[in-house]
Amino acid sequence: MRGLHLVHDVQDAQLLDRHHDKIGRVDGLLLALEDGRPPRVATILVGGRVRDERIGAPVRWFMQLLRTLVDVKSDGISRIPFSAVREISHVVEVDVDGADLASQHVERWLCDHVVRHIPGAYIGRQ
Amino acid sequence: MREVRLDRLVGRTVHDVDGRSVGHIHELHAEIELHEHGNEYVVVAFHVGRLALLPSMAASRFAWQSLRFLGRRRYIIPWQLMDLSDPLQPRVRCALEELPSPD
Amino acid sequence: MAGNVKKWSNAALGLVCGIGGFLEIGSIATATQAGAEFGVQLAWVVAVGTIGLAVLMEMSGRLAAVSKRTYTDLLRERFGIRFFTAPLVVVLIVSLLALAAEIGGVSTALQMATGVSLRWWALPVAFVAWMLLWRGTFTVVEQGSAIFGIVAIAFAVGAWKLHPQWNEVGAALVPSRPAHDAARYWYIAVSVVGASVSPYLFIFHSSGAIEDAWDTEYVSVNRLSAVLGNLFGGGLSIAVLICAAMVLAPKHANVDSFDIIAQTLATPLGRAGLWFFIATLGITCFGATLEIALSVSYLLAQGFGWSWSENLPPARNARFSMAYTVSILAMALVMVAGIDPLKLTTVTMVVTAASLPLTIIPMLVLMNDTDVMSAYTNGWVANAALVALSILSAVLFVVAVPLQILGGG
Repeated sequence: MRGLHLVHDVQDAQLLDRHHDKIGRVDGLLLALEDGRPPRVATILVGGRVRDERIGAPVRWFMQLLRTLVDVKSDGISRIPFSAVREISHVVEVDVDGADLASQHVERWLCDHVVRHIPGAYIGRQ
Repeated sequence: MREVRLDRLVGRTVHDVDGRSVGHIHELHAEIELHEHGNEYVVVAFHVGRLALLPSMAASRFAWQSLRFLGRRRYIIPWQLMDLSDPLQPRVRCALEELPSPD
Repeated sequence: MAGNVKKWSNAALGLVCGIGGFLEIGSIATATQAGAEFGVQLAWVVAVGTIGLAVLMEMSGRLAAVSKRTYTDLLRERFGIRFFTAPLVVVLIVSLLALAAEIGGVSTALQMATGVSLRWWALPVAFVAWMLLWRGTFTVVEQGSAIFGIVAIAFAVGAWKLHPQWNEVGAALVPSRPAHDAARYWYIAVSVVGASVSPYLFIFHSSGAIEDAWDTEYVSVNRLSAVLGNLFGGGLSIAVLICAAMVLAPKHANVDSFDIIAQTLATPLGRAGLWFFIATLGITCFGATLEIALSVSYLLAQGFGWSWSENLPPARNARFSMAYTVSILAMALVMVAGIDPLKLTTVTMVVTAASLPLTIIPMLVLMNDTDVMSAYTNGWVANAALVALSILSAVLFVVAVPLQILGGG
């Protein structure tokens, strides 16, 4: 990977985990700042409050209310160290397992509690 | 060590040492830095331009090229010249006239 | 060699789908209203809408084949999530309204065939559509109902049998001003454009290109099937207009029910015409139901980066599958509640027309971005067409609501 433009090449890009499954988009990037050193691209942020804040205040409030009502303690944000990035092309491939990510919670919950109970849930090309 | 989110930096107005507005952060250019313990990406330059509307749409080549087309000033500021001690109020460590421009 | 055969048979299939998949409740209803109230005069608007759609579908297909990303992907990536929210919300609203109308269209066809109220048919129709999406693959969904939609050719036969003045039809392909009732004329014109150029169509098309793993080898195939398929499909829309002009206009019929619209085929083709109409309405609206429901899922999944593909089992893309499930159920309930599908259709088409700037204008940026399109950016002809469409969409945005008030009737 050569030089990167963080906004153009990384922010909002599609993320793929180590199984090449789609696990969300790069909703945010955390830069680590240290005096006398260039800012370091430290962490990829996915989902949750980060995404909601970028959309706008009304969405942030609504989603926060939803999380409170459903009693979700976590902020829903997945934090992936930038060192886990394997490849950046038209997608960003990261060496993590999507099943472990907080931002995939809704996907897992829906699958376990709704989808797999409906006949035909496993019909299709794997 | 402090942390700042990229989206909190993009669109921010940058001022020079005299308090004059340089423009808005459109883009950050990063490159690999090689280390024994593992390579990492560090920001080497900031693209700053004088058009407030477009950063809020998230920069694209179109936005950056529009600045040139519209004759607005654009700057590529090396990280050493950028003071991020207060990330929400980024400043350059020199006067406006001393800044390198790609045009 | 095998690759070429696959490519071109894909093109042929795309052509058939374009023809069979063009008509749906929006184009049938608006073309009939246009013909009933203004004879063949509004044929030029159908032509404009058709050309606009062909241009946008060619571009959305080319975009996907070259960049390996869908139109929705690129809207999010190039414009950021904050801007993306605007077309997301607007396209969701117009797509859901259209979905309700299409479910209403299928249910109406069944009501006409059986005498049982469409309100009773809405949930069974929704269930069958949902089951096809749940268990089927993209190919089955895309091609299944579109192939059966060829029955819509009945309108071409009907139009021919009604012996219109073909030179008048030809002359009507040139834009003209109304001889009477300008507000109503332009209102119907706007609704015809909204029926032809619906955002879900090019969202579906570019998603389909990724589902079918298109690459740059498919650029010419895409061009051919997008242009020819829509041209023939547009021809069918004009046939609908001609049938209405010949059958309903002389009677000054008020197009306020599908029984009236059915006369446009029953008159030239007799009893068989009535059944052809029922079949056309039912099949084309069913195909559109599948397309729109999938487009809603594509829009949400691609915008937020969820796992998505109609080819995957639902358990592998739970949010994607639940999106179309919830949409179909909710919009079926709108029909169960007794909303008139015809009235809903005309309002939806006008709202769709008003929403177009948000989806067409970004295309202008993307199709000229060499990072996205590499060597396949727009030439000057394509750009001129897109600029013209962008201006048209901006005009529609401004006039749509006033016309709804003044000419909605």
